[in-house]
Amino acid sequence: MRLGVFVSDCQKNDSMLERLNGEGLGIFFVENGVYHAVIHENGRDSGVLQKKGVNYYALASDIQTRGFTTSEIDSRVNVVTYEDVVDLMMNDYEKLIWL
Amino acid sequence: MATISIGLFSSLIGSMNSDFAVKLAETAVNKGHSVNLWFSGNAVTLARKGQKSFKDYSYLAERLKALQENGVAIVACEACAAARGIHKDDVIEGIAVHSMDWYVARAAKSDRVLHIGGE
Repeated sequence: MRLGVFVSDCQKNDSMLERLNGEGLGIFFVENGVYHAVIHENGRDSGVLQKKGVNYYALASDIQTRGFTTSEIDSRVNVVTYEDVVDLMMNDYEKLIWL
Repeated sequence: MATISIGLFSSLIGSMNSDFAVKLAETAVNKGHSVNLWFSGNAVTLARKGQKSFKDYSYLAERLKALQENGVAIVACEACAAARGIHKDDVIEGIAVHSMDWYVARAAKSDRVLHIGGE
């Protein structure tokens, strides 16, 4: 059973997100969560990106509305559209949670 | 195709979560999936009729009507609505008002369920 996690914010220090691990986990950065895919605070990437065996996605429209270009997105993160999100939800992740 | 239930909890009009939930529902319907949309907590305010559209302000009432016309079941939580002074005749035509049982039953029969939390 694969878990898809929607991360909609980047300010909350989400201990649940820190503890979530596991092969095949999918993390979707949406809304202000997309900042995880671009920030470099104190020269370091977002801690969320350090997990092993995780597939990272960021919603293209939320990236663009915040003034970022795809080239500024961390290479570990796949930029996706709403259509991609629906397909990933239906095909790859049986359980979904929102943080 | 599959069935997805989207529950929108505690998001007020103008919230990003509401925009995301509606856009996700639209996309899923366009891809041929069946969608249930549930409003709970402050999200029930989205079901209120008489909302006025202002430039640059999130206005979802028309998009909700379009989703209904495309077969999406849109339901507001009866208790949450009543607690906020929203009663059956205050609600956009076509949006139903039910107890939480409706959502639990739909979620249990859905292929995917996403509860979208609040700010």
